[in-house]
Amino acid sequence: MKQASYASILTPPILALAALFFSPVQMSAEVPSAVAIKDAHVVTVSGQDLPKGTVLLRDGLIQEVGASVQIPPDAWVIEGAGLTVYPGFIDGLSNWGIPAPASARAGAAAPVPVEPRAHGPEDRPQTYAYERAADLVNPSDGRLEQARAAGFTSAATFPNRGIFEGQGALIDFAGQRGREMVVFEPVGQAVAFRSGGFGGGGRGGFPGSLMGNISYVRQLYLDLGQYQQAKQIYNAHPNGNRHPEYDHALEGLAESPRVLLPADREQQIDRILNFGPELKMPFLIYGLHEAYLRVDELRKANVPLLVSLKWPEAPREVNPTDIPSFRDLTMRDKAPAVPGMLAKAGVKFAFYSDGVDNAAELKRALKKAVDNGLSRADAVRALTLSVAEIYGVADRVGSIDKGKIANLVVTKGEAFDDKTTVEYVFVDGKKFVPSPEMQQGPANGAGGARRGNPPSGERAEDETDGRLN
Amino acid sequence: MRYLVLSLSLLAATVGIDQAQTVLIRNTTVLTVTKGTVPNGDVLIENGKVAAVGKNVSAPANATVVDGSGKFLMPGIIDCHSHTAVEGSVNEGTVSDSSMVDIKDVLDPTDINIYRALAGGLTVSNVLHGSANAIGGQTTVIKLRWGKTAPELLFEGAKPGIKFALGENPKRQGYPPQGQGLFNAGAAAERRYPGTRMGVEEVIRQSFTEAKIYQAEWKTYKERAARGEHPIPPRKDLRLEPLVEVLEGQRYVHAHSYRSDEILMLLRTADEMGFKIRTLQHVLEGYKVAKEIAAHGAGASTFSDWWSYKIEAYDATPYNAAIMARKGVVVSLNSDSDELQRHLNLEAAKTMRYGGLNETEALAMVTINPAKQLGIDDKVGSIEVGKSADLVLFDKHPLSDFSKPLKVWIDGHQYFDRDKDLEMRPGFEQQKKALQEKQAAEGRSGRGHGGAAVNPGPTAGPMVDLTGGGRS
Amino acid sequence: MKALLLLLAAAVLPAADSNSVLIRNVSVHPVTGPDIQNGSVLVLDGKVAEIGPKIAPRGGARVVDGHGLQLYPGMINAGTNIGLDEIQALHDSVDLDEIGMFNPELRAEVAFNPSSQHVEVVRAGGITSLISLPGSGGGGGSVITGQAALMHLDGWTWEEMAVKPSAVMEMLFPQIQSGGGRRQAAAGAQRSYRDDENQYKERLRQVSLFFEDARRYEKAKTAGAPDFQRDIKLEAMLPVIDGKQALFVRASTERAIKDAVAFADKEKVKIVIADPREIGATGPLLKAHQIAVVLGKTLALPEHEDDPYDAPYTLPNEFFKAGVKICFGTFDVEFARNVPFEAAQAAAFGLPHDEALKALTINSAEILGAGDQLGSIEKGKLGDLILTDGDPMEAKTNIKQMFIAGKEVSLESRHTREYEKWMKRP
Repeated sequence: MKQASYASILTPPILALAALFFSPVQMSAEVPSAVAIKDAHVVTVSGQDLPKGTVLLRDGLIQEVGASVQIPPDAWVIEGAGLTVYPGFIDGLSNWGIPAPASARAGAAAPVPVEPRAHGPEDRPQTYAYERAADLVNPSDGRLEQARAAGFTSAATFPNRGIFEGQGALIDFAGQRGREMVVFEPVGQAVAFRSGGFGGGGRGGFPGSLMGNISYVRQLYLDLGQYQQAKQIYNAHPNGNRHPEYDHALEGLAESPRVLLPADREQQIDRILNFGPELKMPFLIYGLHEAYLRVDELRKANVPLLVSLKWPEAPREVNPTDIPSFRDLTMRDKAPAVPGMLAKAGVKFAFYSDGVDNAAELKRALKKAVDNGLSRADAVRALTLSVAEIYGVADRVGSIDKGKIANLVVTKGEAFDDKTTVEYVFVDGKKFVPSPEMQQGPANGAGGARRGNPPSGERAEDETDGRLN
Repeated sequence: MRYLVLSLSLLAATVGIDQAQTVLIRNTTVLTVTKGTVPNGDVLIENGKVAAVGKNVSAPANATVVDGSGKFLMPGIIDCHSHTAVEGSVNEGTVSDSSMVDIKDVLDPTDINIYRALAGGLTVSNVLHGSANAIGGQTTVIKLRWGKTAPELLFEGAKPGIKFALGENPKRQGYPPQGQGLFNAGAAAERRYPGTRMGVEEVIRQSFTEAKIYQAEWKTYKERAARGEHPIPPRKDLRLEPLVEVLEGQRYVHAHSYRSDEILMLLRTADEMGFKIRTLQHVLEGYKVAKEIAAHGAGASTFSDWWSYKIEAYDATPYNAAIMARKGVVVSLNSDSDELQRHLNLEAAKTMRYGGLNETEALAMVTINPAKQLGIDDKVGSIEVGKSADLVLFDKHPLSDFSKPLKVWIDGHQYFDRDKDLEMRPGFEQQKKALQEKQAAEGRSGRGHGGAAVNPGPTAGPMVDLTGGGRS
Repeated sequence: MKALLLLLAAAVLPAADSNSVLIRNVSVHPVTGPDIQNGSVLVLDGKVAEIGPKIAPRGGARVVDGHGLQLYPGMINAGTNIGLDEIQALHDSVDLDEIGMFNPELRAEVAFNPSSQHVEVVRAGGITSLISLPGSGGGGGSVITGQAALMHLDGWTWEEMAVKPSAVMEMLFPQIQSGGGRRQAAAGAQRSYRDDENQYKERLRQVSLFFEDARRYEKAKTAGAPDFQRDIKLEAMLPVIDGKQALFVRASTERAIKDAVAFADKEKVKIVIADPREIGATGPLLKAHQIAVVLGKTLALPEHEDDPYDAPYTLPNEFFKAGVKICFGTFDVEFARNVPFEAAQAAAFGLPHDEALKALTINSAEILGAGDQLGSIEKGKLGDLILTDGDPMEAKTNIKQMFIAGKEVSLESRHTREYEKWMKRP
């Protein structure tokens, strides 16, 4: 029986209309952009603090900053007495803005594309060097709100899958669509050491060990050199030469201006300091839990550093007869002192969240560094201008200077103090008011996993005949 | 304990162990291994080397004197088969030929087992890749210089090696899914070639064939470039490079092997492909083909008395070392174990019972013989003037099961002293306790909300699973 | 001609497999008494009949000249899986860790393969008897694995070999998983200590309930209840709850030891602690309760990174100093013959030499409930003897001859036969 289905005809437009009202990324009204934060304590980072200064924003940029700034009549004025203005904090190595894949969130049994088992480096195992964070970012990532509540306006965000994880982008946490968030890209290639072992990730294929990872990274950069050389020679002298193969992964590697390598423990730091230069590519080191043992070496190496905010701590519930090693106890004790030590030695470093995704936890983590010898000013710098310098974007973000992007965090109280609250956050000149409840916590769960390193000292059920008794 | 001795400056300051300087070990039984035994003898160490051995050796005024009365001095022990000081898995077992990986890349000088081995008299280790595949990774020789960094552990001048494995271990991943026995390969997502001993041979043959092709490709490239042509260079292949080095005699082959048939196979295959096997490792049935091993010139590094744990070890006999030695093979005893490496002198003593080796022959099994096998016998392996001062002072004869090491020197620098170790224990205990209490107090006060609760400790990072293709 | 004479001699003189022998011209080390230089020992019908400086042959005993060598009691390995595990990697050849939480009725001796190649191999090391345990100490979830027998390393059948059948009842004391961190990470899901502890308490509770079941069974049996039905599992528990059969309790940590002692107190059973890996503060506790310890391997790695490097080496002496009776076991198969060397290294690190020897002989026998039969050279005890050219705890010593219950046994094995054969290869 035929039924006139008006419903079916009308449904799509109705749904579309509904989407306009109910979609999470709504179209909002355009608010005038001029804002003046008047007579606040302004920490420019690039220069002297202004005990009583004014910051004028317009069109998403810092129009003026100074002790006595002419405030235009159309500007929305925020009385800055009792408030401090800092440049918005930048997460030095993140995956904020790249939401978890839909299958993980919904719990749906979505078929995941499965790689064939890798039989060697030629199979480019676990290599996503060509992926770009810029293509993946999405303002709907719930962690962005938490990040803003901790004063973060931006991140150098990288995909988080595989050994060559892909190319990062500097993003701001505002915008209707992902593409509006991207400030600059690519900022680098992130590398993580994945040891899935025989049956683990990567379907039990190569590489299965840390040395396999290192050899693979080494091989890939060798291949890059040869690839570039081959293309060059071929284009100059195609006659008589077989044409080189196209290599998606190497193209991605070629574009990245620097590579990020992980190292937490002292022997890992030594290893990376030795290994990095082999790649003939600017590199930086992330992790650095035991860097307190290598401050001098790191200073001499003059390599940019990203210090993890996931301080090593005792697990919540322990077997009371399980006593950690002295080495681990020392690491828990001294890791938070690393930033202070690096600052004192004049070593450039920045912070990164490393799975700390929660506003209260981020603040606590930063406070821990300050409590352990890092000056507040140095802490702020490590969250702002240092990150910008490391990624070569200091001309546009990282400090409160005329012409830079209007990324600011306005606090009541000095940054990181227990009682301090984040009153406003400006991202690309847009004003956000983080919720006080969100800033208090408690932690919603464990946060994300750390980036980069396989368990060290891991000795799996190995094929050796030795008795490890 | 290890923590107090981590950086070299701290070492001297806190532990008080002397820097490499002049040391006279006096009035002790000197077991030189190669030049007889000197009762009531003296050994003078200068500039990291043995400067004099004999009776009534005179020493400069600034020499540290060690009284060796009633004690025994032997050369530092050498272990040809070690997996100590390796970070992460010792196996890259995911492929049949993993010659591209290098143990040197993952040396971990902070492994406490280095110190424990030192305390057992061990001074040099041949650190090897595991036996999960027919051709494993590159290997390296280290000195147990506890407290130094990875590059400083490397034995200068020792030729690098590569590990092969024959027999059961490298074929296990090729078994059909039902699997056999306790070491079930069913865990692997797919079968990895080879699944039989014949296949193991093929892997070696295949890889070396490819290495020869690679060698030829580079030769052709260089010739073409020299002729002024514009050839595209071949891809530098980290897997084939070390195999070319083997063909050119620049890299030693250390081959884990058990059964006589596979040992013979390897010797013949190597002959055919044009390279030498430097040592056969474990080689528990080596006694059956000792003649062929000796003829090839391979060394044999075996266990003192292991057997029966798997079927290829069922025909093992503790007389293996003695038989091979009597048939002209250079034989050493190894550990393949963090635990066994602590008492290789006791393992050596077993050759006196199993085969009637005399004291010198027994000691040679863990000193000069492994040194010869590793090509470092010009520098270590015996107490001789001009050699490295790698020495161990025992309280009783090292071949007595009642003996223990008291002091260990490497390059004339004392790396282990039992008295000092005992002295430092209370202080260390106290230090650790204080740190525990401090952290317990911190934990009780300001942990507040949540805390990085699920971080299970710094030694455990995420075991990353990539099958979800997303954030882990 | 010489051969013919020898053959005749063999026919006339007592056969080599007779169990009466007079061993002369030896230094006798009885272990429980002073050494006798230039002594003799007479064994009649398998038992030591006389020890002294000079003994005339009698009773048809075969005379053996000891050539001035050393005579010791045969050594005992108080913890092995010999006879039940031929090749560890081949499960068809392994009979350990039966399924089920409580298996007291299982008897290891019935699965002991008298033709196991390990028998000859181990005895060539100077070991005349050993305990063969039904459990490997590993996983499987078993708590009571079964009864272990004290076996002679000579005999045509397991029945003949059993010196003391069902000598002890093996128990794997429940332990809380420790060493979180990497093992937890590997397991994926985060296991909290709370979970582990609860699981442990639950297991202990189940064990208590099982013991209670055994007591109820005993009561019903003794009372001759009309509805009484025989249950072989609970039947097997009766000697344990009656204190006649010791529980051989594997407990490696200090906490496990303490909990095991508390358990034994509560259940009023006799226990022996097996393979402890640390002593902690348990020394005085064990002494006060007169609980003996069967030590595992001395030659082992320290349990924790910060432990003194010689922690496992000094452990035997720590127990000894605390007044605890100790003996040695290797808790394995392949290295069971090396138990004397484990004792020797304990002596290197403090245990008095003679205590180490006792811990390989008389202590083992007494702890395993066979102290009246084995463990020393004493009148009335079995003639388990070894003739050596030196201290039997030294690797360089050669074990020259061995007697088990007075009968001389060959010290040949698969290993010596390979040696003979392949040395002859041209």
